[in-house]
Amino acid sequence: MRNLLEFLAKFNHWFVFLALEVISMVLLFQYNNYQGSVWFSTANATAGKMLSWSAEVESFFSLSNVNEELTQRNLYLERQVKSLSDKLTETTRDSSWMRRDKLEVLKDFKLIPAKVVSNSLNRHDNLITINKGTADGVTRDMGVACGTGVVGIVYLASQHYSVVIPVLNTKSNISCQIRGRRYFGYLNWDGHNSKRAFIDDIPRHAHFKLYDLVETSGYSSVFPPGIAVGKILHVYNSVDGLSYRLEVELSTDFAKLRDVCVIDNKPMQEQLDVLRAAQDSLKTKESN
Amino acid sequence: MNIDFLRRLLLFVVLLLAQALVLNHIHLFGYATPLLYVYFIISFNRNHPKSGILVWSFLLGLSVDVFSNTPGVATGAMTMVALLQPYVLELFIQRDSDEDLQPAIFSLGFSRYLYYSTLLTLIYCLLFFTLETFNFFNWKQWTLSVGGSTLLSVILILVVDNLRKNR
Repeated sequence: MRNLLEFLAKFNHWFVFLALEVISMVLLFQYNNYQGSVWFSTANATAGKMLSWSAEVESFFSLSNVNEELTQRNLYLERQVKSLSDKLTETTRDSSWMRRDKLEVLKDFKLIPAKVVSNSLNRHDNLITINKGTADGVTRDMGVACGTGVVGIVYLASQHYSVVIPVLNTKSNISCQIRGRRYFGYLNWDGHNSKRAFIDDIPRHAHFKLYDLVETSGYSSVFPPGIAVGKILHVYNSVDGLSYRLEVELSTDFAKLRDVCVIDNKPMQEQLDVLRAAQDSLKTKESN
Repeated sequence: MNIDFLRRLLLFVVLLLAQALVLNHIHLFGYATPLLYVYFIISFNRNHPKSGILVWSFLLGLSVDVFSNTPGVATGAMTMVALLQPYVLELFIQRDSDEDLQPAIFSLGFSRYLYYSTLLTLIYCLLFFTLETFNFFNWKQWTLSVGGSTLLSVILILVVDNLRKNR
């Protein structure tokens, strides 16, 4: 045993040599083909990682442009689908000219693309700040939407920034209807789940199905008709039992809201002013 | 963690970086590449633990391989030359020289150092290019590579040794 140990101690470098040489030969034969080379691919993976990172960064920057365009395009197309389908119903069933006139009027609204500067989800009354203001034509009470659906209503507009009351605010109140069925109600939020909102005032005689889509009605004068809101998840009775209360899954993901469009709706503004004047006069009557 | 270890580590890093960043890109006349890192083995002093030489050289070869996409080639050749270095060094020194003699021009004398380093470099280049090409069909290219690289490497080694002596 002692002899063996002595032998090992004397010739240990040979064993080291053998071990190392075996390792290098394994490397040589195992990996030195151009397909499965680990070192080769390590080096290439390093370069590839670098390149893919830079490409990712580049595409990320261009993505924001693409996103903006898509947001606008999406809104435009959604509007077009809505108006075309409405026209179709008008030609197949005889509908009033009023609606067509309204669509004609709605044609000349303007979209102002904007970016979300700050956003919150977890509060009771969330507010969104966007990077467009009066200098860009944004004024109070304009509607804000994004590619996936409705966002909210402009509440304050400074020169370059605006504050939006999103759907996720207990004060928000947006008129919407069930797509294809025309029953309308008011969208509001209970302050809990950022993916869910409620629609009140749907009449008891309304016919609709679960998972029906909900869209803006165009009656609130802020949004043109046909902008997506979400889909119906549950139906409840309202507190007074006179109407339905629908729980809606919002189509807009407020958690990753980035690009939005402010809807400049000039002709509608007049209508809004008239409405407000009427409300004001009613209020004064009440207070009297 | 003594001063010798740190010096060796520094030499390791300097040689590796020089090879990876500069010398690997030199292909003189299409075949001669200076393989300066053999100097790492050449500079081991007499009676340095043999396993230590092997491990150091193995690691340097491995690192060079990683940087030049030649897995196992430099590693195998370096390990082999590291095994031979103590025996080759014994051939070129007197029996009564210092126990920890550092092979250099000033300690061995120019001609003996030249022969010593040329022999080791030649063995290294032979092994390296044999492992790299791994066939002898292109023996002309192989011979030119071995000869040219040995020549270039030896010149560089002499230069570096001269620089280190002046330090």
